[in-house]
Amino acid sequence: MNDYAGQYRLLSWLSPSYPVGAFSYSHGLEFAVETGTVSDRASLISWLKTVLIHGTGRIDGVLFREAHVATRAEDWARLKDIAEFGNAFQPTPEFALESRAQGAAFVRVTRSAWPSSALNEVDEDVVYPIAVAVSCAGHDISCRGGLQGYFHAFMGNLVSAAVRLIPLGQTDGQQAVAALEDTVRQAVSQGMEIPFDDIGSAAPLIDLASIQHETQYTRLFRS
Amino acid sequence: MFTDTSQSNARKSIDCRSDGAAELSFTLTDGESRLKHLYQSDPCRVLFPSSRVNGPKEAVIVTTSGGVVGGDRLRFDIHGGTSTTATVTTQAAEKVYRSTGEDSVIDISISVRDAAFLEWVPQETILFEGARLRRFTDIATFGSGRFIAGEIVVFGRRARNEKFTNGLLHDAWRIRTGDALVWLDSLHLDGDIGKTINDRYAFDGAATLATVVYGGFDAKDRLAFAREVIRSGAVTCVDNILIARFIDVDAARLRANVARYWIDLRSELGGLPPVLPRVWET
Repeated sequence: MNDYAGQYRLLSWLSPSYPVGAFSYSHGLEFAVETGTVSDRASLISWLKTVLIHGTGRIDGVLFREAHVATRAEDWARLKDIAEFGNAFQPTPEFALESRAQGAAFVRVTRSAWPSSALNEVDEDVVYPIAVAVSCAGHDISCRGGLQGYFHAFMGNLVSAAVRLIPLGQTDGQQAVAALEDTVRQAVSQGMEIPFDDIGSAAPLIDLASIQHETQYTRLFRS
Repeated sequence: MFTDTSQSNARKSIDCRSDGAAELSFTLTDGESRLKHLYQSDPCRVLFPSSRVNGPKEAVIVTTSGGVVGGDRLRFDIHGGTSTTATVTTQAAEKVYRSTGEDSVIDISISVRDAAFLEWVPQETILFEGARLRRFTDIATFGSGRFIAGEIVVFGRRARNEKFTNGLLHDAWRIRTGDALVWLDSLHLDGDIGKTINDRYAFDGAATLATVVYGGFDAKDRLAFAREVIRSGAVTCVDNILIARFIDVDAARLRANVARYWIDLRSELGGLPPVLPRVWET
């Protein structure tokens, strides 16, 4: 796969216009804004750092890498194990919904628009990072490049949610994206390096916010 | 100058490294839950205090070495046979001392057969500065078997103002129904742990953390009840597992909140007396 084609596909899959419904998830940010713990650009940046480095980012990066490696090796038994593991590794029901629903939508759309034999090896209920990783591997897109795209999209989507929720100006939002460049780089490195036996998160307050979002009175977002 | 001798008193040298186990299995005989199998090897001992009136069969695991050092391995296997009701806890807080490099491993394996109700709620685990612990709690349910399981972790000896700023904690849960994987979770702390715990959005300086899970066919229907009774924590339901999380800057307060939640769950869902095992009361 030449660089042009790989980049073209990755940019397409992880664009906000790719129909996985990303815009409807806030990863608990809606609760953090409601309670005032995230209230401006600076606190948004800190919150996203925690999510990417200690929270879901620390789990999804490892799942992404393991799925990519298994797919490249055509080790379908291992891929099935990773998929089962990813599906069960759900701190909260709203994080589960966020990851499973986007994963299912990604598999459906990508099987039609960018079919690959690799993506036929997973079921439609696979979680989002694994769905993207398998498709990347199936199209010869590198693990590191794919993971960078994945975390960039994850981060960009939450900045977009924050722009609507706090609210922030569009320029403030892009300043947050610029400020998070090194954080996304660090999240990618963690995903490439953390041993599978060390998978896990260290951000219980992020999980608690997601749980509390379930019973929040007014909600625009599904998570 | 004050010197901490508690570790050297408890365990003389690395040669004393332990590899201990406690295996317990309950069975229903003449309508009563009784011990069917017991195996214990140093430093693990199992005590059976007389049960309370109308209370479940109780077992208390004791770690006679006074704590866990780097390289120690402890294994607890607990089996609730068909239609049994039993409670297993620990005699005291489990201390995990500073490690010179090796990880300590605690493996807990629990199975709950049809129509059984099993409780595994040990007292808190205290991570000394520099402790390295990997703990795995593996629970399998069969048929209409149900369980309450909990863990409390305290970061450092708070009474001495000690914190847990370096070392390792990998605390993993795996819950299966029959052969199907239902829920996985792991907390992983390493590197600059002090910084992570002080992170406003991660722990916000918390001193202690607890998870209490309830697994059973009726878990989804019990979420409303659990939400009603939980205090200073939050509870949710993922695929028929009720997951309650507690986090606090005050270890004694968290312990009390966990205990109260446990009492409410065991009495409402398990029909057990609304009291704690005696070892928990001190």
